[in-house]
Amino acid sequence: MRFTFICREKLSKAGSRVAIIGAGPAGLGAAGYLACRGYEVEVYDKLPLPGGLMVFAIPPWRISKDAVLNGAKELEESFGVKFILKTKVYLGNVVRRDEGDDFIEKIMPLDKLIDEYDAVIVATGTWESKLPKLPGVESRGVTTALAYLYKHRIYELGLTSRRPGDGERVIVIGGGHSAIDAAEQALNNGSYPYLVYRRTIKEAPAGVYEFMKAASAGINVIELASPMEIVAEGGIVKGVKFQRMKLGSLDETGRPKPIPIPGSEFFIEADAVIFATGEVATPPFNINEEGILNKLNIRVSKEGNIEVLKEGLSINQRVYVAGDVARGPSRIGPALGMGLQVARKVDYILQARAGKLALVAR
Amino acid sequence: MSDLTQVEKYIRVIDLAKCIGCGSCEAVCEFLYGTPFIKVYRTSMGLDIPISCMHCRKAPCIEVCPTGAMIRDSTGAVYVIPSKCIGCLACLYACPFSIPELDHRSRAAIKCDLCRDLRNKALDPACVAICPTGALIYGFEKEVFTLAKLRTAESIAKARYELASWRT
Repeated sequence: MRFTFICREKLSKAGSRVAIIGAGPAGLGAAGYLACRGYEVEVYDKLPLPGGLMVFAIPPWRISKDAVLNGAKELEESFGVKFILKTKVYLGNVVRRDEGDDFIEKIMPLDKLIDEYDAVIVATGTWESKLPKLPGVESRGVTTALAYLYKHRIYELGLTSRRPGDGERVIVIGGGHSAIDAAEQALNNGSYPYLVYRRTIKEAPAGVYEFMKAASAGINVIELASPMEIVAEGGIVKGVKFQRMKLGSLDETGRPKPIPIPGSEFFIEADAVIFATGEVATPPFNINEEGILNKLNIRVSKEGNIEVLKEGLSINQRVYVAGDVARGPSRIGPALGMGLQVARKVDYILQARAGKLALVAR
Repeated sequence: MSDLTQVEKYIRVIDLAKCIGCGSCEAVCEFLYGTPFIKVYRTSMGLDIPISCMHCRKAPCIEVCPTGAMIRDSTGAVYVIPSKCIGCLACLYACPFSIPELDHRSRAAIKCDLCRDLRNKALDPACVAICPTGALIYGFEKEVFTLAKLRTAESIAKARYELASWRT
C-alpha cells in the first residue's frame, strides 16, 4: 500500500507540523498526502505497529499485513513521517478503556497536541464493540469479533505468546464482514462454527456470496435466528438460546424487520460466543464529559461520532476528523478517502494561514 | 491502423481472486479526479466487483470516435483529448463495458487514463499503488501475464498441498 501515491519524494518543506491520531487507513492516507506536500507529520497510535484494523483485525487471507506495514515503513523511511506508537491520545478525567489498549505505555493529552501542532487530525476509528443486553452476556467465553480477531493477529505478530484457543465450539452472531472473518478464523482453528444472523443472508451486509462461501467451507450458517440468552454455568458459557425470526415490513434502515416467532426457541451448545454486532466510535476524549466537550468545542452525535462540518473539519475549527470515528464502521476505501480529503483541507487551510494562498470562499 | 503497434505495452489486470472489495482503488481515484474511474460495484449476489476501463488492444471506442479525441498513448493507455471531444458518446455505445462517462463541465467524455499525470512522473496508477491485496497488477504485458499465471500455479499448488495433508 503506497500511501504517497501522488509523489516520488517529499518536495518542499512546508514548515508546518501536523499530528495524526490513529494509524489506520484514514490516518495513513492523510499522512501520505501531507508528507508529499512537505509537512512534518507525526502519527500517534496506541498499538505497537501502524495499520489499525488492517493489521490488528482483518485476517491475513484477506489482506497481507506486510503490504500495509511496508507502506507505513516507506512513510517513515523515505518521507520522514514519525510514528509515536504505544501512545494513547486522550482527554478526560478517567482514561476510557477500549479494545486493543493492551500495549499502551503512555497517555498523551489531546489539548497538548492541539497546542503543539498546527493541525490535529483525529482518525481513531471504532475500537469498542457493541454487545446486546442479554442475560448471561457477561459470562466467560463471550467475546466480540474485534477482540477475537485481534487476539489472533497479535499472536501471529509475535506480540503475545498466548496462543488463541483451538477446537472450541464457536458461535458467531452477526451478518457483516467481521462476522464472516470471525467465523472463518474459527474454522481455521479447526472448529466447525455456527454463524447466526437474524435476517436472511440476502439482507446481510457481508452479502450472499460471502455467506455461501462460508457455508461451503464448513461453517454452519443459520438464518432468521436471534439470541435470547447466553446460558452459563458457574459464569462459564455453555451455549446460546436462540429464537426463530420472520421478516416483517421495512425498518428505518430500509431492510425488513426481523420479528420473533413465539415458541420457536432452540439451543446450541458452545464454549465461545462471538458477537459481531457492530462497533462504536472511540474518539480521544470522553464523550460523556460535557466540560471537556465544551473546552474543545466539539459536538458528538447520538451514535457517538464526532460531528463534522464540510470535509472533516470539526466544529471547533482546529481539530479535523477522518474515517470511521466520524462516520462509523465502514470499509477501508471510504476511511482512506476521507483521510485524503481531510488532509487536502488541512493543507489548504495551513497554506492560507501562512499567507501562501488567498483564502477564498468555496 | 496506427493503433496497433509491435511495441510491447503496459497493461493493468484486476485479479478478482485477490480483490476483497475494500474500495481503496475507488477512494484514491475519486480523490484525484472528483469522480471514480474505477468503482467497486455490489452485485445482486453480494460479490463486489471493481469495474474500470480495460484499455482494449483493439479499442472500439477509438475506432468509433468521429473526431479522433479518443486515442492511445505510447504505453498503451486509452484516453480522451477533451478539446477534440464533441461529447457524442459514440464511445459509450461502442464500449462493451459501458465505461465512458460525460463530464458536465467540459461536456467531453471522461474515463480512466491509468493516471497519465502520475505516470509522467514515473509513478504507478494510483489504484495500483494503493491496493492492499495486490489485486491490481500493472506492468509490461509479459510481466503481468507471467505474474497472473504464477498466481494460478500457486493456488493449484495450495489446493494439492491441502489435499495431501488431509490424506495423511
